[in-house]
Amino acid sequence: MTDSQVQAIWDSGTLPPNVNAGTGVRINGLHAFRRIRSTEPDALVIGSYSTLDGVQFSIAPGARVSIGNYCCFTAAVIMSECRISIGSYVLIGFNTVIADSDFHPLDPAKRIADAVACSPGNKNISRPAVAAEAVVIEDDVWIGPACVILKGVHIGRGAWIAPGSMVTRDVPAGGFAGGNPARILERPQ
Amino acid sequence: MTRMIPGDWFPGAIPNNVVLGEGVHIETASSFSRFRSRRPTAATFGDHSSAYAGCMFDLGPDAELHVGSWTLLNGLWVIADAHVSIGSQGLISWNVVIMDTYRASRDAATRREQLKSFAYSRDPDVLRCHDSADAPRQVIIEDNVWISFDCCILPGVRIGAGSVIGARSVVDTDIPPNSLAAGNPARIIRTLGNER
Repeated sequence: MTDSQVQAIWDSGTLPPNVNAGTGVRINGLHAFRRIRSTEPDALVIGSYSTLDGVQFSIAPGARVSIGNYCCFTAAVIMSECRISIGSYVLIGFNTVIADSDFHPLDPAKRIADAVACSPGNKNISRPAVAAEAVVIEDDVWIGPACVILKGVHIGRGAWIAPGSMVTRDVPAGGFAGGNPARILERPQ
Repeated sequence: MTRMIPGDWFPGAIPNNVVLGEGVHIETASSFSRFRSRRPTAATFGDHSSAYAGCMFDLGPDAELHVGSWTLLNGLWVIADAHVSIGSQGLISWNVVIMDTYRASRDAATRREQLKSFAYSRDPDVLRCHDSADAPRQVIIEDNVWISFDCCILPGVRIGAGSVIGARSVVDTDIPPNSLAAGNPARIIRTLGNER
């Protein structure tokens, strides 16, 4: 049996029960799954032969994240309150953050209520609703280091996202995007 | 001479092809955990330069890195397949990325093959650009440059002596000496040197 035919390996233990990883997956990092609070049976699905090197997941109750085959992510942070789906052959560089929520309300009064509800002493107060919208990253997308991909963004197949980009809007298939906020570039940097 | 750092939590050592000047401070050998350069002299650290925890010197087999004297690297990621040099008296903040290559090919079909090859071989150096359009382009940071946190310095860029780069900037063009530049993409804001 070659190295690539063995089951998924996480260097820090056995995978949590709601993390479903395919053949040949390699995961490094003690804190990779520490913030998965989703109890969905498929809270995190990872296809075959993908590599997650120092990636950290934060997945809220009810939320789900899926990753395709042959992906390679280095030290990315993936934060989901609803749904993040990433295709196959996707590369993500160091320190990139993908989030499908604002995590807190914009409205000042609601934010006060949220701060109280989030405090460690709170047991009974429920949090106000927070905007969340699924993020979709299609196959063959290249995302450079230090990028931020925000809620509701759909990145089309084969797109190229320059290092340090703040992506707030959709990027079409095959597009080049860069900047803060990210805009479509005529050619890559 | 052992290349282990006393008290280091990381179980590795500084590679033998890294030349350290007088009084160099490297906080942890983990900064070299992605160091794969096979050059006889792959990296040089000038006298009294320093690299604190969080630095990562991700150098491919043919890459070289030069750091000048009195330069302080406080959590810099170098991604190099050719040549990166940083001058003397530089100040480089945390989570700065200096890259001379985008590593994987721009062409999606080629990138697929590279990712498959990587998944089976676990060899990070299959993720390299071989076609001329994607070839690495050297990055030169001249003396006395201050790069603030979370910046990205892209392939082919030269930053002139005495310049300052504002936080979270992405530098994709050359910056002349003594400039204050910021933004994504970075633009020159003004010239430095006549401060009151």
